[in-house]
Amino acid sequence: MSDFSLTRRSVLSGAAVLLASTALPTIGWAQEPQKGGRLTVAADSEPRNLNPAIVASNGVFFISSKVVEPLAEADYEGKDGLSPRLAVSWEGSEDGKSVTFKLREGVTWHDGKPFTSADVAFSALQIWKPLQNLGRVVFKDLEAVETPDEHIAVFKFAKPTPFQLIRNALPALTSVVPKHIYENGKIEENPANTAPIGTGPFKFAEHKAGQYYRLEKNTAYWGKSEPYLDEIVYQVLPDRSAAANALEAEEIQLAAFSAVPLADLDRISKVPGLKVVTKGYEGLTYQLVVEINHRRKELADVKVRQAIAHAIDRDFVVKTIFLGYAETATGPVPKNDKQFYTADVPAYAFDVAKANALLDEAGYKAGADGKRFKLKLLPAPYFNETRQFGDYLRQALAAIGIDAELVNNDSAAHMKAVYTDHDFDLAVGPPVFRGDPAISTTILAQSGIPDGVPFSNQGGYKSAAIDAIIAKAAETLDAKARTDLYKEFQKKVVEDLPFINVADWTFISVASDKVGNIADNPRWAVSNWSNTWLAQ
Amino acid sequence: MRRLVQIPEALVGLGILAVLVVMALAAPMLFPGDPLAIKGAPLLPPFQEWSLPLGTDRLGRDVLAELFHGARTSLAVGLAAAAAAIAVGAVIGTLAGFAGGILDETLMRITDAFQTVPSFLLALAFVSVVGPSLTVVVIAIALSAWTGPARVARAEVLSIRERDFVAGARVIGMHPLEIALREVLPNALPPVLALSSVIVASAILIEAALSFLGLGDPNRVTWGGMIAEGRTVLRSAPFLSIVPGIALVLTVLGVYLAGEGVVEGTAVRKGLS
Repeated sequence: MSDFSLTRRSVLSGAAVLLASTALPTIGWAQEPQKGGRLTVAADSEPRNLNPAIVASNGVFFISSKVVEPLAEADYEGKDGLSPRLAVSWEGSEDGKSVTFKLREGVTWHDGKPFTSADVAFSALQIWKPLQNLGRVVFKDLEAVETPDEHIAVFKFAKPTPFQLIRNALPALTSVVPKHIYENGKIEENPANTAPIGTGPFKFAEHKAGQYYRLEKNTAYWGKSEPYLDEIVYQVLPDRSAAANALEAEEIQLAAFSAVPLADLDRISKVPGLKVVTKGYEGLTYQLVVEINHRRKELADVKVRQAIAHAIDRDFVVKTIFLGYAETATGPVPKNDKQFYTADVPAYAFDVAKANALLDEAGYKAGADGKRFKLKLLPAPYFNETRQFGDYLRQALAAIGIDAELVNNDSAAHMKAVYTDHDFDLAVGPPVFRGDPAISTTILAQSGIPDGVPFSNQGGYKSAAIDAIIAKAAETLDAKARTDLYKEFQKKVVEDLPFINVADWTFISVASDKVGNIADNPRWAVSNWSNTWLAQ
Repeated sequence: MRRLVQIPEALVGLGILAVLVVMALAAPMLFPGDPLAIKGAPLLPPFQEWSLPLGTDRLGRDVLAELFHGARTSLAVGLAAAAAAIAVGAVIGTLAGFAGGILDETLMRITDAFQTVPSFLLALAFVSVVGPSLTVVVIAIALSAWTGPARVARAEVLSIRERDFVAGARVIGMHPLEIALREVLPNALPPVLALSSVIVASAILIEAALSFLGLGDPNRVTWGGMIAEGRTVLRSAPFLSIVPGIALVLTVLGVYLAGEGVVEGTAVRKGLS
C-alpha cells in the first residue's frame, strides 16, 4: 500500500516539476501572501481552560494566542527582542517602581466593545498577579495600575522591580482579557475561559471535544489587511504517528511542537511538498534537567551529584535521544539566550572513571555486586524524550554503580510524587526557560518554595549563597548589573548542582510548502499568526 | 502423552512452548547482565552486525537480548497470573458450590460483578491506581481472570458433592472445610485446569497491552514495551515493532495450540476407554 502511494506521489511530484518548469515566470507568486483559506493544524493536547491570562502555558497559547493578545510579542529584530502588540511603547521609571505602557488605539474586542487601559488594569491586578502560574512570581509586588487616560496604563510596584524582567515577561505573561466579560462572578468559572474573547486576529468559533477547535477570522482586527487566513482548525491528533500520516495525506498543513516524532523527520523531510522548520521556538526553550532530592543523604553530598553529572554523556543524549535536534547544556540558562547565557561555568565532561573516583571519595564504595546504592528515578511522562532519557540515565548510573529503579507515572501522579510528596530520589523534568531567569528558572534552586509548586525546587535544596544572589537580582534595576548577577547564579548552580542540566531543546514544525510566513518570531507557534498565509 | 504427540496442533504448540521456555531459561546465560544496557549504535537494522544479529533499538540496546529477556517476563507473568487466577477461582468456586445457600449466593454475585467489568479495563484501572510493577501486573491480570475457573469449579463441585465418597467423608466426621478442600476440590480440578491455556494466553496479551500503554514495569524488558518503543519509529525502523510482535503472536499461538491439543488428547483417551 505504502509502495503504491509512494509511486503515485513521485509521479505526481514529477508532474508538478514539469508543470512548474513550464510556468517558471509565474513561480514568483508563491512569495506573495495570499488571502483566505483554512489552515488545519495538528493539536496533540486538548486544554479545557483556554484563558492564557490564567494558564500561561504553551499548550494553551498554541490555540488561544490567536484569540487573546499580549502587550508585546517576542521578535527576532525588535528592540529588546520585542515587537508591540496591544502596547505600542513601554518605559520603566528610574526607581523601578513604575512602568508606563502606551496602549494601541482603535482596538476592539471580538464582541465589539473598545479595548482600553481599564482592561489592562483589570487583567493585571485581578488575573496575572493573583491567578496566573507565572504572574504570581513576576507581578508579586504590583500594587496598582493607574489609568490616567484610556490608552495609558501605569504599573505601580510596591518594591523596585527590574524593568528588564517586566520587559522579558511581556510576551508570555501579559495576555489581556476583557474586563466587561470577567468583572462579574468568579474569574476561574467564567465561560470565556473555555470560549475566549480577545482582541486577536482570530475569533474563537467552536470546540468539539476529541475532534477539533475552530477559529474564525476577525474582520475588525487592528492589524492592517491582517489576518490572511479565513480559518484555523486544530485537529486533535493525540497519537504522534498520526500527525505525520495526516501531513502526508494533506489532511493537515502544519504540525507544530514536534508533533511529528523526531525519528520521522529525516524521512518526512524528503517528502515533496513538506518542509521541516527548526526555527520559531527560540523563546520557548525546554531544558532537560535531572531533579535531585537533597533529602537523600547520598545525594546531599556534592561529590555524588558531580559524579552523576560526569556519568551523563550529553553528546550521546543530544545525538541519540534528540537525534541532533537539541543542544548540550552547560548550566541553567540555555546557550541560545542572548541576554544571560555565560559559558564561564565549571564543565562536567563525560568521564566514568572520574565519576567512580568521586563516589569512592564520597565514601560510597561499590559492594560485592558492583553496586554502591539504590535510587528511585522518576522520568516525567510529558515527552517521549524525557522518558527515553530516564531509560538512558538508568544505564548511565548503572555504569557508575548506582542502581536506579525506574518509576513510571502518568502526568498527575508524577506531579504529585515529585512536587508535592517528594517521593523521589532523582527525577527527569522539562522546565522551560522563558527569556529571563527570574520567570521560571531561579525557582529551581531557590529555597523556601511551598510544596506543590510544579517545576520548582522541591528537592529540599538550600544554599544561602544562591538564595542571596536570587534576592539581590530581584531588586537590581540596572540591566547590566542584573545580568551579571545571573551569570554568577549560573556559575554557582553549576558548581553546587542543585539540579543537573543535560540538554536544551526547542521544537520542530513540519509544514506544507503552501504555508507562508511561518517561524518569523522566536515564539512563533504561540504567537498570533496574523500574517501567516496559505497558497491556494 | 504418546497420543498427545500424535496430534499435530499439540506438537506444534508444544514445540513453540519448548523453544520459548529454552529462550527464557537461557537468557541470563546467553545475555548476561542488564538486557537494557546500551550495546551499540542506535537503530542498527537486523543482520548487519554479527554481535547484534537483530539490530538495536533507539538507545542502542540489543534487540535479541531484549527478546530473550522479554520471553522471561511474558512467561513469568502468564504462568503466575494463570496460577493465581486458578488457585483463587478454584477455591472460591469450591466453597460456593460445596456450602451452597447464602455463601454460594454471595460468592457468585461477587463473581458476576467481576465478570461484568471488561477484564482489560479492570487490569488497567488497577495498575494505574497502584502503580506499575511486575507483581502488581500479575495481580491485576489474576483479578480479572479468576471468575472463569470459579464458575467451572462450582459447577463441577455441585455434581461431585452428591457423590458417595463425599457422603462417606461426612459420615466419618470430617470437617466440612476439610471435605471441600481435600476431597472435592482435587476432583473438580481437571476441567478447571483445562482453562489454563486460555488464561495464560490472555494474561500474556494483557501484560503486553499494559506495557504497550506504558503501564508495564519499566525496569524489565517486556515485548509489549518493545512494541511501544518501536512505534515512534514505525516508519523508519519497523523491525523494532515487528520482531517482538512476531514473538508475541507465536507465543500466544503456541499456548493455544498446546492447550487445544491437551483437551483433544484427553477427549480421545476418554472416547477410547
